[in-house]
Amino acid sequence: MTTAALQVARTGLDAQNERMRVIANNLANVNTTGFKKDRAQFETLAYQNIVSAGAASAGDQKFATGHALGTGVQIGATAKIDSQGSLNTTGNSLDMAISGAGFFQVTQPDGRTAYTRDGNFNLSAEGQIVTSDGMPLSPAIQVPQGATSITIGADGTVTAQLAGQTEVSELGKIETATFVNVAGLQSLGNNLMQETPASGAPQVGAAGTEGRGTIQQGSLEASNVNIVEELVDMIETQRAYEVNSKMISSTNDMLQYANQNLG
Amino acid sequence: MDRLIYSSLAAMRGLMAKQATTASNLANVSTTGFRGDMASATATWLRGPGMDGRAAPSEGVIDADMRVGAVAATGRALDVAMEGDAMLGVQAENGEEGYTRRGDLMVSETGLLTTGDGLPVLGGSGPITLPPADKIEIDAGGVIWIQPKGGNANDPLQQVDQLKLVNASGTRIAKSMDGLFRPVAGGTLPSDPDARVNAGALEGSNVNASAALVDMIGASRDWEMQVKMLTTAQDLDKSSADLMRLD
Repeated sequence: MTTAALQVARTGLDAQNERMRVIANNLANVNTTGFKKDRAQFETLAYQNIVSAGAASAGDQKFATGHALGTGVQIGATAKIDSQGSLNTTGNSLDMAISGAGFFQVTQPDGRTAYTRDGNFNLSAEGQIVTSDGMPLSPAIQVPQGATSITIGADGTVTAQLAGQTEVSELGKIETATFVNVAGLQSLGNNLMQETPASGAPQVGAAGTEGRGTIQQGSLEASNVNIVEELVDMIETQRAYEVNSKMISSTNDMLQYANQNLG
Repeated sequence: MDRLIYSSLAAMRGLMAKQATTASNLANVSTTGFRGDMASATATWLRGPGMDGRAAPSEGVIDADMRVGAVAATGRALDVAMEGDAMLGVQAENGEEGYTRRGDLMVSETGLLTTGDGLPVLGGSGPITLPPADKIEIDAGGVIWIQPKGGNANDPLQQVDQLKLVNASGTRIAKSMDGLFRPVAGGTLPSDPDARVNAGALEGSNVNASAALVDMIGASRDWEMQVKMLTTAQDLDKSSADLMRLD
């Protein structure tokens, strides 16, 4: 009981520390293509009842108010903020950005599909369109050797001029996936996301249909981290950490004073 | 021996509870829509023959601080800050209706609209479930407008439901054990047609960190005073024992 204040203040330190990690990760990814920032969500911990409101105090009298002590705070979740990052033109024919909702689908080495907003694609030695880590786009698109002027339409249609042909040929169609609850996707690292029971199943289709965003060839989506906002949050977190540590030292002083003077 | 030390002990117990309340407020300095707790001591007089010379203090959380917290713009469509005294109706974990100022709304995979701590938000008839949508907007009256998935971006938005916004003025409400507000007398509050929200903004915690720090210093100094009282009582006791000693 005597250490309740110490423990409560400790939950505050833990939560602010965790929030600082979220902010640090956002800031660290300020230049990551297609990165979506996280927001730490604080939740009050349960209240501990000392006296229930309405309990009998004496005879027929009842306590008008309860006596409950809060037990602190925790980070309940980190939610992805899926606002659009700004689109930067690069001019590379295989750089793609999605303007609006949706994710590119890539196949991981274990065969499962992952989702990304990072449209920094390249050609593999075998002529497949792959991410910078070499994961092929799904459905796979094969670019024949000698193909020139690859064009990707807003709906994801990939066409190229093949050697020895006068007409452009269609190489395939890039499909994008949307989720009911984008905030429920799990980050895998390497700019990849994975579906979870919370995100719901992916709804796959051509870009620009059923609410899916359009594909912009020759552009990359920048991170949606706003440095100034993060710095303000960082200062706020630091101050909140300070007041909680002050609480610990103050409670410690109280106990120390009692220990030294009583006996 | 005098029973002075028991009065002091009661005070110390109360001061530690006050310190824990302040610690809880400070810990929740970043919790969205949090309402600080206010602790206060009441004197319990012991009536009896002779002088009423002693009153045991009983410290407790008397109420929540209902001042409005700082509102910050986030630009996120599902963040709502309630104006004035309006509160949002949510379904508590035990199924009852409770009220909160927390407005960081989320859509779960089933389309259920919840607050940031996962409680279903109530609408016109129970928890709100949103159909798949390309765009969700909440207007000042708390009405939710959506553009259904795959719809034409130029079509007017469709109204799906309205947040249950209530106003507690005239009804005594208190914070329950789960941190939600409920009418003290029980029951639920009716929807308030005049309640207004600000979409794209979030209300922070209303804990005033500097006021809480002053409370903290106050409680720790009061504690020292009670310890002084105990050592004084000890000294008095010792000197009377010394007087009695025969040697």
